[in-house]
Amino acid sequence: MAIAGLIVTLLGFIIALASVGMSSSVGGRMVIVLIGLVVSLVGIIGLVNPAFQKKAVWKK
Amino acid sequence: MTRRIALLAGTLLMASLTWAQAPATPAPAPAPAAPAAAPAPAPVMITDQEIKNTPTPSADAKAKGDPDGSLTGNVSDIVVADSKKGVTVEDALNQIGQNRVAINFVWTLITGFLVMFMQAGFAIVETGLCRAKNANHTMMMNFMVYGTGLLAYWLIGFAIQMGGVGALGTLGSTPVLNGEFAMKLFGKDFGLWGQNGLFLMHKGTYDVAVMVLFLFQMVFMDTALTIVTGTAAERWKYAAFILSSFVMGAFTYPLFANWAWGGGWLANLGGNFNLGHGYADFAGSGVVHAVGGITALAMGILIGPRIGKYDRSGKANVLLGHDIVLVLLGCFILAFGWFGFNPGSTLAASGNGALRIGSVAVNTMLAGMTGSFGAMLYMWLRYGKPDASMSGNGLLAGLVAITAPSGFVNPVGSAIIGLIAGVLVCVSVEFVDRVMRVDDPVGAISVHGANGLWGVISVGLFADGKSNYGGSWNGVNGNVTGLFYGDAGQLVAQLIGVCTLVGFVFTFSFVANWIIDVLVGQRVGAKAELEGLDMPEMGALGYPEFELKASAARM
Repeated sequence: MAIAGLIVTLLGFIIALASVGMSSSVGGRMVIVLIGLVVSLVGIIGLVNPAFQKKAVWKK
Repeated sequence: MTRRIALLAGTLLMASLTWAQAPATPAPAPAPAAPAAAPAPAPVMITDQEIKNTPTPSADAKAKGDPDGSLTGNVSDIVVADSKKGVTVEDALNQIGQNRVAINFVWTLITGFLVMFMQAGFAIVETGLCRAKNANHTMMMNFMVYGTGLLAYWLIGFAIQMGGVGALGTLGSTPVLNGEFAMKLFGKDFGLWGQNGLFLMHKGTYDVAVMVLFLFQMVFMDTALTIVTGTAAERWKYAAFILSSFVMGAFTYPLFANWAWGGGWLANLGGNFNLGHGYADFAGSGVVHAVGGITALAMGILIGPRIGKYDRSGKANVLLGHDIVLVLLGCFILAFGWFGFNPGSTLAASGNGALRIGSVAVNTMLAGMTGSFGAMLYMWLRYGKPDASMSGNGLLAGLVAITAPSGFVNPVGSAIIGLIAGVLVCVSVEFVDRVMRVDDPVGAISVHGANGLWGVISVGLFADGKSNYGGSWNGVNGNVTGLFYGDAGQLVAQLIGVCTLVGFVFTFSFVANWIIDVLVGQRVGAKAELEGLDMPEMGALGYPEFELKASAARM
């Protein structure tokens, strides 16, 4: 799950990067970039971190 | 010699040295009807002979000393190219040009020295916030991150970051740094990394201006590296710390810094895609602090919390640091160093709008002040006491947040940015600690990561369009202007920068440190952690007398 989380995190960056090619309007780009940001945050907070919490020292 | 040069042109040499970044002069508003204007004064001509005839203090006058300074520094101090000819107009003009570059060299170097001293501030803040049994280990990480980072940056990092930046007019040009590697994407050049400057010898980079630039950029890089040591403190294996810091100084930091400051693709979002002036980060909320803070988040997740930080139900315990005096003293040292960090980022005190250094310095002070107030009031209202360590973190949060916008915003904007940062750091610490359950002994993820990102965003909101550093920023004419002053495109550029930090830098840092974890292990054993890392990792206690007292108590 950690690797999937990293892929999702990187995907958010790629979405944001692609915004400049996907839309020519400022509003359109902003929406796409914000989607990319949310995707990256989901990758970190929702996937990578929980994957490593499973073996956290306080759970042993 | 019949050469004649207009004195007016000579005195305007400063303006002529602003290279290609000469401001696009805005169309003047129609002037109201005025009385007949006085005729323009005729240019005053000056000759070599007139310069030679300029009176100088007599030897008798100088022999009496110069207590009021009126005799020191005159035409006789101009360096002459040919002693037989004496002082010429050419000599005078060369002296003016060199004086401007010299002012900028000295300014950049001295502010760089101030930034270097911030390492001392970080060292004692982090050590104070850790337990006494880890004092030696924490100090040694902060001490050796300087040397490790410097080595990595000298060998590789500087070339990646600045090897393609092009000429910097304020430092008398650095034309040898012209090797940016770029790829085509969406029909535009995307600069990815620089190629000149390995070992500061490669491709003609043994150059006085390159040396000044290196020193200034190197201490910035080291600031980013030392952020991570705070989050991973009290359980980081020393050998892994050395490897991790080297990778960050050689690759992680320089890559993002190239994209933002070295002529890379983020800086060119304005020119290529009409997004304001491209990603604008005046002194590094994103480049330095968010890179450090996001890498710290990756390390915090990877290395896991300290033993005892969470109980079996996942409830967070407070592991108090051992010296709040060190913490607040360190915060003051950092605040002092920030006057190098932000105002020094003009890389100039003369020309190209660099007189805004006063504004940059005041913005820095104000945001630090409102940041500490914001954090202190938040903690006071929420927990009943004005928490000292969080007040210190609030000061740092305000300073981190104002780092990117310090050159672009007005004093009211900077005060608001700092106040929000002060509250944000408290909320973020609670979130990281209790919701994410990532153990961050010093709050580095919140101070530098969360507020670094806030600083980047705040440029896109609060930049007031009044700053003008030579007429363009990132090669786009006009002034950096945020959403509140009419340019939504600037905010989009800033948000793309934020996504790059969160999406790319996090992933890159995580993978790099995961590999190091597999190779040497990032975390010390449980026995060493419980004992404290001073003896197992460093072979000496930070406070031997503490051990004596403990022994006496046991007896």
